[in-house]
Amino acid sequence: MDTLVARYSRPANLQRETYAEDQHDDLYNDNSPALSLKFAMPPVAQPSAWLRAATDDRSNPNCPIKIAHGTTTLAFRFQGGIIVATDSRATAGNWIASQTVKKVIEINNCLLGTMAGGAADCQYWLAWLGMQCRLHELRHKRRISVAAASKILANLVYQYKGMGLSMGTMCAGVTKEEGPALYYIDSDGTRLSGNLFCVGSGQTFAYGVLDAEYSYDLSEEAALELGRRSILAATHRDAYSGGFINLYHVKEEGWVKHGFNDTNPIFWKTKLEKGEFTNVTSSLD
Amino acid sequence: MDHRPQAWGRPRDDVYGAYDASYMNTNLPNQHTQSPIVTGTSVVAMKFKDGVVMAADNLASYGSLARFTDVKRLRTFADTSVIGFGGDVSDMQYLDRHLTELGIDEAYQSDVGGHNLNARNLHKYLSKLLYHRRSKFDPLWNHLLVAGMDEDDKPFLAAADLLGTTFTSPSLSTGFGSMLAQPIMRKYVPDEASVENITKEKAVEVIKECMKVLFYRDARSMDKYSLAIVTKDGVELSENKLENQSWAFADRIKGYGTQTV
Amino acid sequence: MAMFSQNPIMNGPNYSFAEAPKAAMDGLREHRFNPYTDNGGSTLAIAGDGFAIMAGDTRLTSGYSINTRYAPKVFKIGGTTSSQDDANILLSVVGFAADGEALQERLDSVCKMYRYRHGKPMSVNACAKRLSTILYQKRFFPYYVYAILGGLDEEGKGAVYSYDPVGSYEREQCRAGGAAASLIMPFLDNQVNFKNQYVPGSGIGHELQERDRVPLPRDEVEILVKDAFDSAVERHIEVGDGLQMMIITKDGIEEKVLPLKKD
Repeated sequence: MDTLVARYSRPANLQRETYAEDQHDDLYNDNSPALSLKFAMPPVAQPSAWLRAATDDRSNPNCPIKIAHGTTTLAFRFQGGIIVATDSRATAGNWIASQTVKKVIEINNCLLGTMAGGAADCQYWLAWLGMQCRLHELRHKRRISVAAASKILANLVYQYKGMGLSMGTMCAGVTKEEGPALYYIDSDGTRLSGNLFCVGSGQTFAYGVLDAEYSYDLSEEAALELGRRSILAATHRDAYSGGFINLYHVKEEGWVKHGFNDTNPIFWKTKLEKGEFTNVTSSLD
Repeated sequence: MDHRPQAWGRPRDDVYGAYDASYMNTNLPNQHTQSPIVTGTSVVAMKFKDGVVMAADNLASYGSLARFTDVKRLRTFADTSVIGFGGDVSDMQYLDRHLTELGIDEAYQSDVGGHNLNARNLHKYLSKLLYHRRSKFDPLWNHLLVAGMDEDDKPFLAAADLLGTTFTSPSLSTGFGSMLAQPIMRKYVPDEASVENITKEKAVEVIKECMKVLFYRDARSMDKYSLAIVTKDGVELSENKLENQSWAFADRIKGYGTQTV
Repeated sequence: MAMFSQNPIMNGPNYSFAEAPKAAMDGLREHRFNPYTDNGGSTLAIAGDGFAIMAGDTRLTSGYSINTRYAPKVFKIGGTTSSQDDANILLSVVGFAADGEALQERLDSVCKMYRYRHGKPMSVNACAKRLSTILYQKRFFPYYVYAILGGLDEEGKGAVYSYDPVGSYEREQCRAGGAAASLIMPFLDNQVNFKNQYVPGSGIGHELQERDRVPLPRDEVEILVKDAFDSAVERHIEVGDGLQMMIITKDGIEEKVLPLKKD
């Protein structure tokens, strides 16, 4: 009865024109988690079709919102752990939005994720995964396994399947139980474990080099070089990849960063000192 | 997800269906299920040193039909502000009811001595309302001008459109007026500083000139219009008719319809 | 040109298997309302050693019309009062002005609540993360806004964070956003990050040594910003009228408005 009275005590048209609920949360809800699963939705029957119309710059180059895309990322298992390597270019259509993207995301000091697809999707959900991993540690007093962590992410993106998320990510970590563990997760909900993955528009070029030279018994030095060389090949042949080579080595104690280096000097070094890339001429005449 | 290099990471047609470009069409009126039906044309307004002058004609068109010829499109709020409505007339009337109720509410809640909402507050309120409605994909198809005095008793003039976009300027107009009247007004008040040199009489004269130009060239306009003058002493709202019309130039127009010479 | 287009329907590189049909699908759809528009304009941010400069032009357009010649795009965020005198963060927004304003007000209220609850202003990197989540909350109905956040980090160094419309972000030395981003950004690469600048006489071709990167002094950066906008105004119709510049240093925020060409 009270609700009825409340409903009719003010004119209906005055009640309807209020703040959106999400903004109300910002101001009054003390414990609203920053990384929540509450999303504002467009009020249409097919939100994903609408979202695609607004953001798919491939089907409609004039779409208003262009999300950064294009990438080469790779990761592979070997006897000394896992090598993770990426390029650093983000493109929106033909425009290079950034040459300095950090596509290796440090989930925590033992786990790495890679970014391919929508940059925001990867950043947000891998940060969210970091939160879940920490909660797991607090609840169970031990580190989460890579299998479990990757499954949390895969289950999450599967819930959002068809909504327009775009991410192709690899989770890499070394644990006592699993040894070096590497999983590929994408926004279709696919989750695969494997020795070696390349993801992104430059994946084919990276696979070419990586498959040819890969062996599980690689030394640490050779493995790092192979990771670097595979990304280099991809940046050379894929226009949507380039910038810097971001190189990480994951071990049981945690990951180690091996630099964020400009491709250009590495390319010339590789060409001149090792005699590769003979398709490119080094003389000026 | 599409794994071909050129399409990498973008939505795949077999999962999401074919790309539907119609969502991203620009706002061509007849393409919308919710679209303006009975419409008012331009509202023009400019500041002068002690206040703001605003005008809008009394026509409500139904497509190209001049359907209603006595529709007042300026309304006062709390005797301190004026709102001019361009666009859909039914949405204007909804806003009018809404503002009436808001006015009553405010009059009850505020301290003795009347309203607390000045023109700036009112403009913010209306722009939030419009933005909220566009976010619900249920827009109020109006382009508003809000005029009055701000908290320092300085002239205030701002616009808000159906998407919630807001902007302020010493002279503003909606619809056709932004092409025909705005250049005339900008000649007198190109920036905030020049407002100080404009008297009330001059501003009224310029606005009347704008209404005449609009009547001559905007096919959806008419020669009866409301004119409001807002100062810190209140609002003067008057009804006017265009005087001294001259259609001599019509003689020289050639090339339309059946006219062959 | 067409061969560089990524889009097969624009005669870009194509594949042997056929593309799915591009025609609109059948079925019901209740709304045909496009909630977005582009209000033009451009923004720019450069981080220095002890300062950060955020700048934006003040033109607001819709289509070919200029709505107003003075609509600021750079805002102070997180002050105690509405005057924002003690704000410690700057935000610039460009794209759809109404979304920009909504975002600005929302971030400001978040920072204000933080200040009331914690008794101290929000740090720039915390604010940067928060802005990212705010943008991502609207992942499926995005704010059509290219945002840049600026301030001073914990060490007192200038910090600039740039965003895409759905919240991916990165700390950078400089960033241009909006309509003339493609005109200004290459200039900044060259002048701020010294891209493609080499030490004279250090070699030929690929043997050339890159010029060392050094932080630029404030007066030089201010000139750089003005030059960047003057150039953008010459070649982009949606940029012009006024240049609003906010400079944040340890002494606070200073605002400058300079004229730009108005044609």
